[in-house]
Amino acid sequence: MQQPSLFPDQPQGMTLSEFNARIERQVNGVPGLQNQWVIAETSDLRLNRSGHCYTELIEKDDRGITIAKIGAAIWAGTYRDLYNKFLRSTGQVLATGMKVMVKVTVNFHSLYGMKVVINDIDPNYTLGDMARQRQEIINRLTAEGIIDLNKELPWPEVPQRIAIISAEGAAGYGDFMNQLTGNPYGLQFYTCLFNAVMQGAQTVPTVMAAMDRINRHIDLFDCVVIIRGGGATSELNSFDNYDLASYVANFPIPVIVGIGHERDVTVLDYVAALRVKTPTAAAETLIQRGTTALAHLDELQDAVVTAVRDTVGQAREHLAFFTTMIPAAARHLIDTNRIRLDNHARNIPFAAQGLIVNQRTRLERAVERMGDAVSRALQREQQRLVALGDKATLLSPVNTLQRGYSLVRLGDKCVTAADQLHSGDQITVQFATGTTDATIN
Amino acid sequence: MEENTQMTYTQAVTELEQLVQKMQDPQCSIDNLTDYTKRSKELLDICRKKLTQADEQLKQILADIQQQGQ
Repeated sequence: MQQPSLFPDQPQGMTLSEFNARIERQVNGVPGLQNQWVIAETSDLRLNRSGHCYTELIEKDDRGITIAKIGAAIWAGTYRDLYNKFLRSTGQVLATGMKVMVKVTVNFHSLYGMKVVINDIDPNYTLGDMARQRQEIINRLTAEGIIDLNKELPWPEVPQRIAIISAEGAAGYGDFMNQLTGNPYGLQFYTCLFNAVMQGAQTVPTVMAAMDRINRHIDLFDCVVIIRGGGATSELNSFDNYDLASYVANFPIPVIVGIGHERDVTVLDYVAALRVKTPTAAAETLIQRGTTALAHLDELQDAVVTAVRDTVGQAREHLAFFTTMIPAAARHLIDTNRIRLDNHARNIPFAAQGLIVNQRTRLERAVERMGDAVSRALQREQQRLVALGDKATLLSPVNTLQRGYSLVRLGDKCVTAADQLHSGDQITVQFATGTTDATIN
Repeated sequence: MEENTQMTYTQAVTELEQLVQKMQDPQCSIDNLTDYTKRSKELLDICRKKLTQADEQLKQILADIQQQGQ
């Protein structure tokens, strides 16, 4: 009700309730503001004791600055249905910081002001947005060339020294340890827990801090196992974080991730050396590597036994071969040589005969040649003798004596000079025919 | 023997594999067989021990590191 004015020219006002009632009439029930699908991000989401859910719906620009905001409520009866629907589809609990598409109806209350009431939610939009964010991180890791770095690391033959990142007391950690230490093959594993928060806003900083600590003792470990499990599957998207994914990708030893969800994967699953679904599966993987190594040792042992048996067997075969071969070879050798001897024996008479004939021929020829030579020599000697006879005849003193010379001898010596004779010497004078004695005066 | 105790599993299994390869070679001399077999047995023992016998010293080191982080 309007009060009478003391100042006639003063503009006429209205009460706030009247004004708010005017807004209410302009807003509540207007077709374009009812059951309208709106895309927004949740902020400051909370539940009160009555089960009503309150949140802020906000919109940010490219720089992350909030450019629109409105309070929203999900009444308790609706919230239970939407909670289950959202969890079923996304595997996650509706929480702060999620991109959502919600069906809202504006409600203006004179006392409580403007807010929207959320009647429905489309989980597929949130799924799509999470996938888009994850894809963006994957694209970035790929572009930087690091997405496969951890996968490409060589594994030790048997990873036995395990650094575990998990929440102490979590069911998943317990499952992992029970599986690993209770393996029935007697395989030894050496574990060290690096405690971290595995859900919510503290996930990334605590997991990265744990990895920092592992890195300081890196020589003591063969691999890292990041596991969560048990309890709610909420806030899995904490692991869809570039910084954490990049750290895991660049980590110097293989990382096994067991934080996944049956229906979904996180970025860590793309960068880790190995992805398993559960902590138990992580332990089984490690045990399997151990049993594979044990089986390999059994194979090598069998190979050693077989190689020894084969080598000894071959040696025995060789020996057996030689044992049978040597007498046969000796017999063969003897036979061969006997045949050769027989051949030689048969050939000797023929060869001797041939040799004798040859020698006889040679002897005959030599005898012939000797006869000829002797004849020629005799002939030569005869001729020589004749010549010598002629010469002797020519030189004989008889011939000289016949020509009138005389030979004077004193005793048995010929006198060739007058001074060889002395008075009274008895000399003999020989003529061609006859001699005569004389005395020197 | 000191050399053996310092061997890693990878070193031991690699030497064992090479040894088996030599033994499987048709040219393998029977004269080397005794030495090869003896060494193979040693290496098999080292490998199995690495897999199944606890290294108490390593356990203690890791327990200390875990304790420091609590």
